[in-house]
Amino acid sequence: MRSRDGNDNLPFRLCSIILFFSLTLNAGEYLISYKYIVKDAILYNETMNISHAMKECDGTPQKELILENTSDGNLKKLISKNSEEFIDYIHKLGLNVEHNEITSNFQNSSTTILTMKTTCFKVDFNDNFARITPLK
Amino acid sequence: MKYSMLLIALLSVSSLIGAEHIHSPDTQAMKHIIEKTNAELAHAHAQTAEARAETRQAQAYLAKANATAEQILKENKSIHISVVGQGVAPMNTSSPAQAYALAKRAAVADAYRAIAEKVKGVRIDGQDLIKNMMVKRSIIRTSVKAMVRNANVVETTFKEGLCEVEMEMTISHSDFVQ
Repeated sequence: MRSRDGNDNLPFRLCSIILFFSLTLNAGEYLISYKYIVKDAILYNETMNISHAMKECDGTPQKELILENTSDGNLKKLISKNSEEFIDYIHKLGLNVEHNEITSNFQNSSTTILTMKTTCFKVDFNDNFARITPLK
Repeated sequence: MKYSMLLIALLSVSSLIGAEHIHSPDTQAMKHIIEKTNAELAHAHAQTAEARAETRQAQAYLAKANATAEQILKENKSIHISVVGQGVAPMNTSSPAQAYALAKRAAVADAYRAIAEKVKGVRIDGQDLIKNMMVKRSIIRTSVKAMVRNANVVETTFKEGLCEVEMEMTISHSDFVQ
C-alpha cells in the first residue's frame, strides 16, 4: 500500500498503531487499599479493597511488581493467587502504623493498625505475566 | 716538743669537733627538707594516682553515656535500625500453616511498631487515682503514629506458637528532606 504522497511506511505505521492499542487495551487502573489490625499480638482483622478506578489517575509510576498471570485479566484472582508476594510488596511501598497500648491496673492490652491508604495502581495484563505499578 | 704536738693534735681534734658542731644543724635541716620533699612527692604521687583513677572513671562513664545516647541523623549519613517483632497464633486455627501465617502477620505488625517507636518516639500519658492514701486506679496510655517504608524482614522463627520476625531498616537524612 502506498499513500498519495508516496509514503512507503504507511502500512508499518498502521500496524504499529494497532499493536500499541491492542496492548494498552489490556492495561487498567485500579484503586487498592489495605488494612490489618493486630490486637494483643494476635491478628484480628485483615482487609483489602480492590476496585476499578472510575476516573483516570494522576501520578508517575513507581517501583513495579511483576506477577505470573493465569487469571485472564482479573486482578482480584491474580492477587489472591499471589497474596503473600503482593502483601510483601505493599509492605515495601510503605504502611501507616498506628499503635495504642493501655496498661490499666497493671493489665496490658494493645492494638496495632497497619494501613495502606487507597492508592491507584496501573496494571498491565500480558499473556504470561501482569505488571503492577503504583501511581504517585 | 711532745706537749706542743699534743696541743696541735688537741687543737685539730677540737677544731674538727667544732666543725662537726657547726655543720650538724645544716645536715639535719637538709635531712628534714629531704624528708619533707619526699613526703610531698609521695603525696603528689597519690594525688596523681587518684586523678588518673577519676579520669578513667569519667572516661568509662562517657563511653557508657555515648553507647546509650540516642543516635542523631546527620547529613550524608545513615542509621541502621534492627528490631524484633513478636506475634502469637490464635487458638482456633485450622492448620499449623495458617497459625504460622497469622502469627507472622502479627509479628510483622509488632516489628513495624518497634521501628516507629525507635524512629519517631512514643507518646505516653499516665493517670493515677489515689483515694484515702490508696491507689484506686492506674492507667498508662502509650501511642505511636508513623509511616514506615522499605523495612526488610531478615529472619523469621516460629516456635511453640510464637513467631519472631527480625526486621531491619536503613534511614538516611535524605529520606526526611522535603
